[in-house]
Amino acid sequence: MLAIQANGLQRAFKGGIKAVDGIDLSIEQGEIYGFLGPNGAGKTTTVRMLVTLLLPTGGSATVAGHDVAKEAGAVRRRIGVALQEAALDSLMTGNELMLLQATLQGMKTDAAKKRCSELIERVGLTDAGDRRVGGYSGGMKRRLDLAMALVHSPSVLFLDEPTTGLDPTSRFTLWQEVSRLREEGTTVFLTTQYLEEADQLADRVGIIADGKIVAEGTPEALKRESGANHIEVILLEGSDPTAATAALSSLGEPMEASGKHDVSIRLREPGIGVADAVRVLDDAGLEVAEIELVKPSLDDVFMEKTGHRLEGSGDGES
Amino acid sequence: MSERQVVPALIRRALNELIRVPGAAIPGVLAPTIFMLGLTAVFGQVTHLPGFNGLDQYIAFVLPVGLLQGAGFTGAATGVNMARDIEQGWFDRLLLAPVSRPMLLAGIVGSASLRALIPTTTLVLVGMAFGVKFPGVAELFIAASLVMILAACTACWGAIIALKFRTQQAAPLMQIGSFVAVLFTAAYAPIGMLQPWLHTVATINPVNYVLTGVRQGFIGSVTWADTWPAYVAGFGLLAVLGTFAVRGMRRTGQ
Repeated sequence: MLAIQANGLQRAFKGGIKAVDGIDLSIEQGEIYGFLGPNGAGKTTTVRMLVTLLLPTGGSATVAGHDVAKEAGAVRRRIGVALQEAALDSLMTGNELMLLQATLQGMKTDAAKKRCSELIERVGLTDAGDRRVGGYSGGMKRRLDLAMALVHSPSVLFLDEPTTGLDPTSRFTLWQEVSRLREEGTTVFLTTQYLEEADQLADRVGIIADGKIVAEGTPEALKRESGANHIEVILLEGSDPTAATAALSSLGEPMEASGKHDVSIRLREPGIGVADAVRVLDDAGLEVAEIELVKPSLDDVFMEKTGHRLEGSGDGES
Repeated sequence: MSERQVVPALIRRALNELIRVPGAAIPGVLAPTIFMLGLTAVFGQVTHLPGFNGLDQYIAFVLPVGLLQGAGFTGAATGVNMARDIEQGWFDRLLLAPVSRPMLLAGIVGSASLRALIPTTTLVLVGMAFGVKFPGVAELFIAASLVMILAACTACWGAIIALKFRTQQAAPLMQIGSFVAVLFTAAYAPIGMLQPWLHTVATINPVNYVLTGVRQGFIGSVTWADTWPAYVAGFGLLAVLGTFAVRGMRRTGQ
């Protein structure tokens, strides 16, 4: 049984605006699926339909084997959700919120207390558990939100941009938790605008733009499809970039040089590497300060599929 | 655990706000208290008019009005809090729970009923300090229970508005519902003294029956004839407003 399946899922709003325009999804149990797209692409609308907060206006979807429109209660029992902007009552403590969430999920008091205590420890909030959430940092709130989403051990977890606005350390901590969920067999539907996040965590990635899925596959496959490696060169002062470009064009096709680089070449074959480029430049009598082999990134995939760079990718790409 | 456990859990959450931010209760207490004392100071002598049938304390006549206003403020505050929860995303957390919508609503309006006991207690104590006689335990129980029912009604009204407009900016609409409902009753003068049109409106206004039920212990004795219509009117109003509020919750996201 697929954990998440969607067939022609659509959501139109007043005025006929289609936020989600007929998407298909097939996500296996235990898979981490990265759902990438810029703001306004339809990521959150898709999530809200899959978690039963929004009725589809077309198509169908099942989560954990239950129809999101017709069996919303059954879906809610099997999913955990951490939506964008961790919605937490700032006057309550972390422990109180955990217990309230467990009650909302219908857990018995003793089991709830044990599970809450385990999860609070797991997300590193034991010392802060009795403090009001209003005094938590953004990272602590996100970790608490994740713990709350896991309180009833859901089989499918939806994380809607869980690391947006977090510092790198908090982001890394959350990634570790998501990786751990993979080991436990939980299906994770992860929406993000950070390419590195999808690259690090996701088994497969779907790219959504203007309400449609424009690419889907493993990060590696998508990057392979996206094109060849390229070489970026910074020349020593006095070396002529035009001559360097001419020399390196024997290895591939010149590209527009980015940032501090003087020359960029898209390599013709995957076997060509830095050593070949250095040899060509040396033969031409050109001196190199820095040279780098760059493999295609998800940002390149995104650029190719949508025609523009992903917002926030600069924060996430190394 | 039954999903009924959700109701006390949500009530605890709402009361937690009062414990940790006690100032949140002040408007709901202060406004009806000032209103009650102010009206008594200005219109205290109207009890000499024939329609009041020899009543010697105007404050005893308007204290029940203050109780209903306190219920109105509490209910409106519940609606405002709900709109805040919608704006901040907390309400999504509730909607994502595998809990029936009537249970969620019961938790939300149940807190309003309990919170209404704060202005009720304050107003009764202030009224007694200004000479209102203690109505008796049974009478006070009837008055308090009717106030709690009305607070649940106004909380449902607040919820309907919050679900419709999804913003705290709709707060005036939440408040005006109970204000108008209490105004169009025999709040400030006996029903026989009202203008014919207002007399007619008060006669069909269910809140007037609730007011009569609350008032009976303070200016006379409790009678079955004034008690049962008050409960029927209160529960009837709650059933109607509750139905619309649950419908609003179910339609969220459609």
